[in-house]
Amino acid sequence: MSRYMINKLLWEVEAGDESLRAFIDDSAGFIDRWERDEPMPPHPSGGTLTSEERTAFESWDYSTLYRMGAHPFLLWQFARAVWVPARMEAHEFVIAFRKGVAEYGHPDFTT
Amino acid sequence: MAEIVLTLAVPHTPLLWRALQGPVPADLAGVAESFSTFRALLAAERPDVLVVVGSDHLRSILTSNMPAFLIGKATRIRGTLPSEQRAFGLPAAIVPGHRDLAAHLLGGRQLPAGFDFSFSDEPWLDHSFMVPLLYLTPDLDIPVVPIHTNTNAPPIPLATRFRALGSYLREAITTWPGPERVAVIGTGHLSFELGGPRQFSGASLDPEFDGVVLDCFRQGDVERLVEVATYERMLAAGNLTFQFLNFITCLSAGGETAAQIVEAIPSRFGDEPFMAWSMGR
Repeated sequence: MSRYMINKLLWEVEAGDESLRAFIDDSAGFIDRWERDEPMPPHPSGGTLTSEERTAFESWDYSTLYRMGAHPFLLWQFARAVWVPARMEAHEFVIAFRKGVAEYGHPDFTT
Repeated sequence: MAEIVLTLAVPHTPLLWRALQGPVPADLAGVAESFSTFRALLAAERPDVLVVVGSDHLRSILTSNMPAFLIGKATRIRGTLPSEQRAFGLPAAIVPGHRDLAAHLLGGRQLPAGFDFSFSDEPWLDHSFMVPLLYLTPDLDIPVVPIHTNTNAPPIPLATRFRALGSYLREAITTWPGPERVAVIGTGHLSFELGGPRQFSGASLDPEFDGVVLDCFRQGDVERLVEVATYERMLAAGNLTFQFLNFITCLSAGGETAAQIVEAIPSRFGDEPFMAWSMGR
């Protein structure tokens, strides 16, 4: 498990309108392309996920990513951007997110 | 010699931006009024430079390369990343930078003895800089020296380092040979959570923590402040409370004296801090 890789993908999905749209339309395809990207300094793109991490991303499962120690700011920005308005209204999602992560308290998010 | 004419501590809550377009909602009237008061305070001091201590939220700086303290030295600085334009409706902007003072703070050609700063010739400003700047200097016409502190990605620096940063800034600014009038602006939150079980609770998340630290600012008690601000205590107050550390830098940059204004203004986003030092010296 790599919290850094989780954070990196959260960031890359949410960074621009195009990447966000592509992830919402086809999350598995987006991750396939991301895993094929050759990391290039100084701002390396691309990376690798474990199968558990990949499943969580493909199903937009913020609870699991939270439990794994995803950075809370990155996770919230990502989750809100993919869920709202595609699957939920903003005010509903605030509540759903709180409920979805409550049982995990504050997991360590040190990378 | 340059002098610090004002030190301010303000919130940078990015959701304020959309919420304050148009008529001011009743539950944000206090925050809008405080920003307006602080805008007038700042204008009255006619600053030539703003040294802004904020914390990039993993927007332009990821943990592929995370500095503890980074000074931006550029003459034109880009503000607001595309993700923040979309998420918060913040405008893209170019902010003038004060490259010479930034270079001086970095020690010229060798770093100062007490601080291993990182630097950037092409910094980006996220909402931790842009929200305060847009409210305090709406024309974005005063040159800025942005200082990014890592308060978001552990391991973060100890509270004592934020104190040392403030003391360093105070000394380095006042030994700058230019005639500039400098304002130091720190941005952050009190107890604060985002992306966690207690986000958007609409009130102080940890009244005990907020009460103690506000009291320290009222009394200028920096010793107690750095004692209270352990990682564990800040995390217990809310998962991103670490951003409060920038206010310790304000206290020290303001001479470690009692702040003249200390307010925590209630809002739908929690209690928003507004503090000021060095007014009307």
